[in-house]
Amino acid sequence: MLKRIFLVICFLVICLPSALAAQLCIPNAPEACQVRLSIKTALGEKAYEWNEHEKFLFRAAMAFAMRKHKEQEFSLSDIILCNETVRVSFWFVVTSPLNPSVLVERKDIEKAVSKFRHRINGAFLLSDTTLEFVNIYPTLAAPVVPNTPPWLIVFGVVIGLIGAGIVFLLTSTIVQKRRKKQQKAEEGDEDIEELEAKTVENGSTSEGVYNTTFSDDDRFTQM
Amino acid sequence: MEKDTRDKWDSPTQFVLACVSYAVGLGNVWRFPYLCQMHGGGGFLIPYLLMLLLEGVPLFYLELAIGQKMRLGSIGAWTAINPYLGGLGLASVVTSVYLCLYYNIINAWSFWYLFHSFQDALPWAACPINANRTGPIEECERATPTQYFFYRETLNISSSIEENGGIHTGQALCFLLAWLITYLFIVKGVKSTGKVVYFTATFPYVVLLIYLIRGITLHGAINGVKYMFTPRMEQLANPTTWINAATQIFFSLGLGFGSLIAFASYNQYHNNFERQAIVVSLINSGTSIFSCIVTFAIYGFKATVNYENCLERTRTLLLNAFSLAEDSITMDNIFEWVTKLNTTYPEQIADLQDKLEVCNLERELNTAVEGTGLAFIVYSEAIKNMPLPQLWSVLYFFMLLLLGMGSMLGNVTAIITPLQDFKVVSHMSHELLNGVVCLLCFLLGLGFTTTSGNYWFAMFNDYGATFSLLFIVLIEVTIISYYYGIKRFEKDIEDMLGHRPNWYWKIMWAGVSPLLLIGLFIFYIVNYIQGGTPTYQAWNKDLGKSEQTDYPGFGQAFIGLLLVSSVSCIPLTALYVFCQKRGQQKQEKQQRTVGTAEASGLDREEN
Repeated sequence: MLKRIFLVICFLVICLPSALAAQLCIPNAPEACQVRLSIKTALGEKAYEWNEHEKFLFRAAMAFAMRKHKEQEFSLSDIILCNETVRVSFWFVVTSPLNPSVLVERKDIEKAVSKFRHRINGAFLLSDTTLEFVNIYPTLAAPVVPNTPPWLIVFGVVIGLIGAGIVFLLTSTIVQKRRKKQQKAEEGDEDIEELEAKTVENGSTSEGVYNTTFSDDDRFTQM
Repeated sequence: MEKDTRDKWDSPTQFVLACVSYAVGLGNVWRFPYLCQMHGGGGFLIPYLLMLLLEGVPLFYLELAIGQKMRLGSIGAWTAINPYLGGLGLASVVTSVYLCLYYNIINAWSFWYLFHSFQDALPWAACPINANRTGPIEECERATPTQYFFYRETLNISSSIEENGGIHTGQALCFLLAWLITYLFIVKGVKSTGKVVYFTATFPYVVLLIYLIRGITLHGAINGVKYMFTPRMEQLANPTTWINAATQIFFSLGLGFGSLIAFASYNQYHNNFERQAIVVSLINSGTSIFSCIVTFAIYGFKATVNYENCLERTRTLLLNAFSLAEDSITMDNIFEWVTKLNTTYPEQIADLQDKLEVCNLERELNTAVEGTGLAFIVYSEAIKNMPLPQLWSVLYFFMLLLLGMGSMLGNVTAIITPLQDFKVVSHMSHELLNGVVCLLCFLLGLGFTTTSGNYWFAMFNDYGATFSLLFIVLIEVTIISYYYGIKRFEKDIEDMLGHRPNWYWKIMWAGVSPLLLIGLFIFYIVNYIQGGTPTYQAWNKDLGKSEQTDYPGFGQAFIGLLLVSSVSCIPLTALYVFCQKRGQQKQEKQQRTVGTAEASGLDREEN
């Protein structure tokens, strides 16, 4: 008789928690969260199989996230999984460590997941899209804003080169023009010198007054 | 002598390259592939090549002949033929001014995209994240990242032409750069232009070749090329096909702007422009066909990528909804699965209907786009999917820049050459005149960098040069054929080339081309009248797509002004010259009467 009572008590002690757990974890319940893993999409040939060990890792990772977020001593038994499919999707609930029949509210789970998403992803070698917590949206990485937009740097370089090119061309044109003017002025001087030399030549032989009418001085006859 | 001091090209090659650089422009890349797609793929080549023969080459030859013979810009050349015709040249200059104002903004956009390609992740590859960091910006989600980048970050476009914001500083800076480069290229007239065209005319072909090889080796490119080459001959029965072919040849060669006359005026008197005209026209059409192949390879790639992404999304949806194992549905059996699930779980499939997309490769290929949409949206979407996208992006936008800059050289030369022929201006140095023209165009063109600038750009693009050019070239060819006379023209050409043009040219000038142009002209007028209120595509940021909107009152008035202002130069100048001559005649008469009065007065005194 005592043996039977002992057996019944043992049976209840072992089976009750899991029965209770099964009752607590109901899909689409307000405190339950759905998870979807796309291991083959993420890892291709290096994909691992989803088995009991991976489930253990998941429960450990979730317990870790809840511990850090709520600062309570969550344990493996507080994370209950149910309704697993071939897709590799399942539902889970989190029970409070203080009272195993009370479920933690969904918003606490959401906050914990959001805060430590990258740690959970890292444990499974997955990313925000391949380890999907349905209806818990990941906070996207802040965009990297550099001090100077990179396009402005390239723009600065190009416009500097073009500006230098324009300045160079314009100054070379001005310099060329000045040189031409100088040359013309020099040619003009040479003409005057030539004419003066000629008139001096003719006038040096003191044979009389030089008649300029027949000199080579074209300047005076040109209109 | 004045003619000997006129600038000249260093060699005939420079002239040919300048013409190629001018004629081969953005239209070859973004208009011709669209027309090809709309009008029956490979079959479109038949009307296109026919029109090249009937109007393209003869009219090109005609303009080069006028320029080389008269050795003056468009205004001077027509005034030399008949003083009353100076307005024809002036109309060309006015049209060129409009073109210059809005064309450089495309170069500004090319610069913007080019500079933004020097980044790790191309900015148009993914949507930027919103302020809450919960997801992408809404406008970007409703449209695509490439459209968002073009309409919001590049243009910061307003929702209609009436709303106006300020100037987009980034745009304005790129616009300034575009004008500075234009100035640098033309600052010394043909001396500087002649050297630049060696690069601007040849490098785009290098890029096109690289893109051809890259494009053909892309996944799915063959779908696009097959699509292009399957001719749909029934399109040839559609008159719009022939009209579009004629207009494309006409505008692609850049006739009527005065650029060809200007370029040819710097030639040696005995330069063989007949051969050059044929060569340039053939190169221009060849480039169009070449870039069509490249574009369709890219289309094919983009359509295939989009189609496969659509299939992937459908696969994920089905996997998640029915909790099937990941490797059960693959790309090959996805359609079988859809039918299987439809029969076994019809209600669940019905629930998914709004999320389930229909993936169709044909539909992706059918999206025909032209203009800035093709160049800046479709191409950048294809580029972001290529491996090493930064390199391809830089190459592509650099090519667009060269094509655009090459055409700008011709446009600005068309304005400056006639101005330099005027005595008032000829005392100014090249550099100063060019600088003044570039500065004025820059200041006026800043309006296109405002938030509604793209709508004004579209207006100028559609109405600024199309109608007036047809009119100008029609008058040109009629005057040469019937007023100046084919015989006189023949003699001039014989003088320059050493032989007379053969019967083909004469028939085209006197008969076929004018008739074709009259036909096009009538079609444009009929289309304009029948079309009702002119409309434009306004970007709706709530829906994330463009919608057709009517132009408001002032918009329509401005369109009218654009059309009338260039065309009316012809009669107004004729009137002005007429009044001037009358005034001169009156003055002469008065002087003569005064003279005779004096003479008769003297006689009386003597008597």
